[in-house]
Amino acid sequence: MSIEEQDILRSAVIEFAEKNIANSAVSIERAGITDDLAAALAAQGFLGAALPAEVGGAGIDRQGYAVILKELAAYSPSVSALVLITGSVAGKLLKKDGLLGKIATGEEAFAVSLWPATDGSGDAGELKISGNRITGTRRYVIGRPGGCMAAVTDDGKLVLVKSGFTLSDEDHHLSFRGLSYSVATVESGDYEVISSNGKETMESILSGMDLEIAAIALGIARGALAKTVDYTKVRKTFEKPLKDYSTVANNISRLMSELRVAEVALQASGDLNETEILMLKTHSTDLAKRATKYSLQYHGGYGYIEDFGVEKFYRDAVGLTILLENQAADGMRLSKEVFGEKSGYL
Amino acid sequence: MDFEFPEDIVRAREKAAEFARKEISSKKALMYDRQEKFPDELKKKAFEYGIVDYTNPWSMLVTIEELCRADPGMGIAATVSLFGAEVIMLFGNDSQKASYLGAVQNGSKMMGLAVTEPGGGSDVAGIKTFARKEGSKYIINGSKMFITNGAIADFFVMLVRTSNPEDGKRHHGLSTLIVPGNLPGFSRTKITGKLGVRATNTAELVLNNVEVPADNLIGEEGKGFYYIMTFFNISRAYVAAQAIGIAQGALDRVLEYLSELQSKGASSSITEEIQMAASDIATRIEASRLLTYKAASYLFQFKPNPTITSMSKAYAAETAVFATEKALEITGYSGINGDLERFFRDAKIMEIWEGTSEIEKLIIWRNLIREARGGN
Repeated sequence: MSIEEQDILRSAVIEFAEKNIANSAVSIERAGITDDLAAALAAQGFLGAALPAEVGGAGIDRQGYAVILKELAAYSPSVSALVLITGSVAGKLLKKDGLLGKIATGEEAFAVSLWPATDGSGDAGELKISGNRITGTRRYVIGRPGGCMAAVTDDGKLVLVKSGFTLSDEDHHLSFRGLSYSVATVESGDYEVISSNGKETMESILSGMDLEIAAIALGIARGALAKTVDYTKVRKTFEKPLKDYSTVANNISRLMSELRVAEVALQASGDLNETEILMLKTHSTDLAKRATKYSLQYHGGYGYIEDFGVEKFYRDAVGLTILLENQAADGMRLSKEVFGEKSGYL
Repeated sequence: MDFEFPEDIVRAREKAAEFARKEISSKKALMYDRQEKFPDELKKKAFEYGIVDYTNPWSMLVTIEELCRADPGMGIAATVSLFGAEVIMLFGNDSQKASYLGAVQNGSKMMGLAVTEPGGGSDVAGIKTFARKEGSKYIINGSKMFITNGAIADFFVMLVRTSNPEDGKRHHGLSTLIVPGNLPGFSRTKITGKLGVRATNTAELVLNNVEVPADNLIGEEGKGFYYIMTFFNISRAYVAAQAIGIAQGALDRVLEYLSELQSKGASSSITEEIQMAASDIATRIEASRLLTYKAASYLFQFKPNPTITSMSKAYAAETAVFATEKALEITGYSGINGDLERFFRDAKIMEIWEGTSEIEKLIIWRNLIREARGGN
């Protein structure tokens, strides 16, 4: 997608987000993404943006997809993550059939546990296949409840659980509250095997999302910094606007500079190779953490409460690097590219 | 120079740790966090156990550390019911001490300090809440924001403006009043949706023609700014202790996680980068402790050193944020589904309340340059 086309798409996403997300961002964090919002995302073509047209998706290219993820993340990282797992997980794992079509239109909910690709050391519960049924629990599930779920079983098969499971909000309270991370309890579920080598398939899904994670991270940084620029212009301390103080102005300006450079790279990502995209992701996730920390700090007490909409960026920037990527594996991948051989493992 | 605490303080720390083991669990902490509920029962038990005693400040300092190490939200809630009492202790008259301090010291009542306003956090002298004196009473109008214990305190030490400064110095004309929480015209709204320390109670206060007796004036009219700054010098040491507790709690959980990995034969996954991150956390905690104990040493001998106090508060707060973020990175899923995600959310307030890190650094700078210029 050309830069001009990306700009047009960006305007459309921002218009959508202003209308459908901006005023309900707090309720998304508290109560989750509503069916209505999912339907609106689908109607606009954003939910299934990366899915092929044959299943009702928009069939958009990777640069356009990144624009959607980034701009949505600037309003609600949870909404952006929903689009991500629809396009980059369901779209990659599932057959191009009616089920994927329903996920693209929001009629069918989709959830996934990226364990063990994200972090194999956690206690993920026990999920076992017995004959034609599947039972047990699987933790670290992200997505909307009430539909199907992809997960890796204890014996390493990647399965799609189609029925007989519930998602309960027992896990952490840190990030992506609009989707929530849940524990799936599977009681004699109906399933189909997607891959016999689940871990590798999931790792491949994860490493295939470098650009998309970079886009979400940059959206988080953009959302937080934009609010901070607005706030520090009007908030006064010692009778002067915060932005008049050199520490505030310089820190925010430097972060904005880093953000803009990364945004330019993201726009031109069609010309980047895989290593450069991984580098962009590494830079972007680090930037998101730093930008959100300063953003919250300069909002003071108001930043600490959800009403001002910056604390969610602070939470999600950290959660992004734990829940939707594997930093240790990324470090190894990056080192291997930089040194030309296996490095950084001791 | 002896870096070891005397035996009674060591025992106080052990007693607080024992109390935390008995009364603070991950399950309880998660519940109070999710429900944004003040742990009344814990606070009551802490008094019964004899670990909340601000007349013994060193014991209190290590007690705060230990309780926040177990859980920041519950730890702070259990030890913050006397917040602001030092203003009455240091500047109140005998009648005020008799009327208000006994009840908070035995835990039967709670108090709060009401300074911050919606329009100004760090800028204490910029407050607008006004108390007009009429005969033998003050009539207060204004609002206060982010007040700890705000919705549950029985009374507040409140900073108000009693006169407009004629000399243009905004910190002149401020006074401190004792304001009961149940007076007509005084409304309090609990603030929900905080990022962290959700077991503590925080509220917005609105005062509409609230009348208090003139006898509720603490110390002298117009001296309120100095009283509050003196208080902050004390409370910042306690906040530094909260932050140290948070950072230590994060390190405890990191070491537990890594020890378990070693036990499972997965030592190779503990890379040098992880080892050094854990070492960095531990080093910063130790440095924070040394600074804080130095600040407390000056303070508790009644010769406060605001430079050291601000250094300790700012550094310990940054350490808490650093430690909890690193801890989450190291522990991954395990940490994010356990106590550490809460510690991470709780830690950030350390850099904001009782003077932001920026304010602390400005205080340090002003004292440094004043000293460099020979005290001028």
